[in-house]
Amino acid sequence: MKEEPRLGVFVCHCGVNIGGVVKVPEVVEYAKNLPRVAYAEDNIYTCSEAGLDSIKESIKKYKLNRVIVASCTPRTHEPLFRSACIEAGLNPYLFEMANIREQCSWVHPKEPEKATKKAKDVVRMAVARAAWLEPQTEPEVEIKDSAMVIGAGVAGLTSALTLANQGFKVYLVEKEDKIGGNVRRLYKLYPTMEEAEKILGPVIEAVKKHKKIELLTSTSVEEVGGYVGNFNVTVNQKGEKIPLNVGTIIVACGALNYQPPKGLYQYGVYDNVLTQLELDGMLRKGKLGKPERVIMIQCVGGRKGEIRGYQLESFPKSDTAKLLRKVLKAKKEEGWPYCSRICCMNAIKNAILIKTVSPETDVIILYSDLRVYKEYEDFYARSRDLEVKFIKFLEIVTPEVSETPDKRLKVLAYDMLAGREAEFVADYVVLSTPLIPHKDEVTLARMLKIPISPDGFLMEAHLKLRPVDTAMDGIYLAGAASGPKDVPETIISAKAAAARAAILMANKKMSCEAITAMVNEDLCIGCGLCEELCPFGAPRIEEGKSKMIEALCRGCGVCAAECPRMAITMRHYGDQQVLAQVEAALVPEGFKEGGS
Amino acid sequence: MVEVMTEKAEFEPVIVAFCCNWCAYAGADLAGTSRLEYPTNVRIVRVMCTGRIDPTFILSAFKWGADGVLVAGCHPGDCHYAKGNYAMEKRFNFVNEVLNHLGIEPERLILEWISAGEGAKFAALIRDVTRKIKDLGPSPFKKTTDAAIEALKMQRLRWVMGISQVGVKIDAERYNVVVDNVMKDEIERQMMINAIKEKGPLTIKEISEATDIPPSRILRHIIALRKAGTISEVGEKEHGYLYGVT
Repeated sequence: MKEEPRLGVFVCHCGVNIGGVVKVPEVVEYAKNLPRVAYAEDNIYTCSEAGLDSIKESIKKYKLNRVIVASCTPRTHEPLFRSACIEAGLNPYLFEMANIREQCSWVHPKEPEKATKKAKDVVRMAVARAAWLEPQTEPEVEIKDSAMVIGAGVAGLTSALTLANQGFKVYLVEKEDKIGGNVRRLYKLYPTMEEAEKILGPVIEAVKKHKKIELLTSTSVEEVGGYVGNFNVTVNQKGEKIPLNVGTIIVACGALNYQPPKGLYQYGVYDNVLTQLELDGMLRKGKLGKPERVIMIQCVGGRKGEIRGYQLESFPKSDTAKLLRKVLKAKKEEGWPYCSRICCMNAIKNAILIKTVSPETDVIILYSDLRVYKEYEDFYARSRDLEVKFIKFLEIVTPEVSETPDKRLKVLAYDMLAGREAEFVADYVVLSTPLIPHKDEVTLARMLKIPISPDGFLMEAHLKLRPVDTAMDGIYLAGAASGPKDVPETIISAKAAAARAAILMANKKMSCEAITAMVNEDLCIGCGLCEELCPFGAPRIEEGKSKMIEALCRGCGVCAAECPRMAITMRHYGDQQVLAQVEAALVPEGFKEGGS
Repeated sequence: MVEVMTEKAEFEPVIVAFCCNWCAYAGADLAGTSRLEYPTNVRIVRVMCTGRIDPTFILSAFKWGADGVLVAGCHPGDCHYAKGNYAMEKRFNFVNEVLNHLGIEPERLILEWISAGEGAKFAALIRDVTRKIKDLGPSPFKKTTDAAIEALKMQRLRWVMGISQVGVKIDAERYNVVVDNVMKDEIERQMMINAIKEKGPLTIKEISEATDIPPSRILRHIIALRKAGTISEVGEKEHGYLYGVT
């Protein structure tokens, strides 16, 4: 170590979030007595302007060269505190966080003594690690000013146009021969009841005419290499392989409409059991006629996860309890666990469309939960004005469909509000099925090295804070690729994704976190194990030594943990830095040496 | 800082949890945000990926008195770095062999997958692990652990570990025999080196007494260590050579 570490420890009360459980002043006193700690204080909110000012002033006043904030999770607040350090002239990699909120006060609220002791331990671990931290310079990578958009549905088209209008070259890749995605198959869109074609048409035209957009239909993505700013993509257009070099990628692969298996509510058995998409097609062609009654069933194949909150005791009526017991024993319906978000509005839309062309038709929507959010409440009210009927069934007692002797359909449903079974005869039964992930989404995810959510869609980097980013820098999600969305939501996310990509490309370069691997060439024997193990192709063996391409390294550290010669070190997560923390956790007195 | 254990005080284990930044650590954060309670025995060390966790990290934790070590990463297929968790999974089997060798119950090392959305699973896991480690009692102190850590820094043992990563086709049974033999060799050699470092130049008989390794094996190791240039004859004592670390 070049200079003797002088540590400053800032312990946050987080209002009462930490201070209500952990005895913060006691932790401060404890921190003051730890080796190399030059200064310690507590703050009501360290992340407030006053708290940040205090950090900056203390760095100068006490000549601190390491800063530790004991507060919340580094996953949300590290960037903020790091920038405070930068403002005070301290390298951001000399900052360390001790998580005493998520790991302490919030999970041990009833054990203040133990929580305080644990907080001290966690602070001690951070102090031990901080002593070994070293200043780092963040590597910079150049960003090419071109993008690839995967999928030419509404999301892909919007993203492509948004980027192209900003002057960026866009390759729009679509695996089908036509563009327009799911919306192309729709008749009218809720809540404005505009024809989908009228909305889609001008967008498609604009994309086709745009000089900056290269449209590649009947084309699939075959290989993605490289890294943010410089992706090397190979696409396959009817057998012809085309290489593309782009700076950013937007994934707008959309979602599929779930096709019920044959026999589910007699779908595929009787011709007059349809999906909403099929009903849409009939309405478009005006083939529905004037049926006496249409029954829609919601959540078919959707929301089929664990059923929560039902206790037989809460149904004192013996008949209901008997029925529930029978059903709970029966095999659970297969399907997708999540709420598909759009089906309620879609069903209401089609109900209104039926009522518009055939006011005499009785339309009944069987639902277990109706989810009409924001302005769609109005839309729902409109359907009620048109006398569309809504009947709530118990989600675990799904309706039964059978055929009557005169070839109509009999629907048996348990009317939850009436508390009894109800029987209807209908001409059509329409199944509202969810949007589900594409089968090839897994292949795509693997190629792009982005994770998949438990629901099977591509996963955002952070559900709340980074909804269109992915775990990979330079790759963004638009539209239903990350979960069911209606058209306005798709357009919002498509424009957001385009904006995120444009930020990178407009800046022309970006800095990467300095957590990359370094090779000690004196120890390296060029065995090539690191080259074999690295998922990003960062190390290359050249002239018998491993050479690390920094822009490719993402900092996972697999190479460092496996190197037979222990020749690879990780920046900011070196052996010493990790071990110091482990030792401090276990040997309170011994950590002064800082790892051995 | 050492807690005085009264007769009635229940054994409170210390468990070190290596959590990957993207999944398990985020899962722990979610457990916090959701206010899910769990015992206070766990100390979390954040790493970017479970693939980073060198076997020496785990062994060091045991050396410094951890009663249990938890390694928690992303679910298979969800790794932020594509396959770091798979690397850890393979390494886990190897580290288990090492623990077996040292007489540390492998149950003290737990590998689990926690996603960023599984706060409840994280809390449940900590409750479960804490209870299991409590049942096992305090971790046995093994003086061989030090030697094992040194051995794990040597390329011979690390090569054996690396082979399991790159998918070289070896009969599983035969691989385990190789692992066992190499581990035994390397740990014994490190114990010998440590003994010499501690006590100064020793004869074969003295090394054997200090390490509890039979003289016949000591002789074998000395041949290997001399060849590697690690030790050499530095003098004579009672008609035998004295060996010192070079």
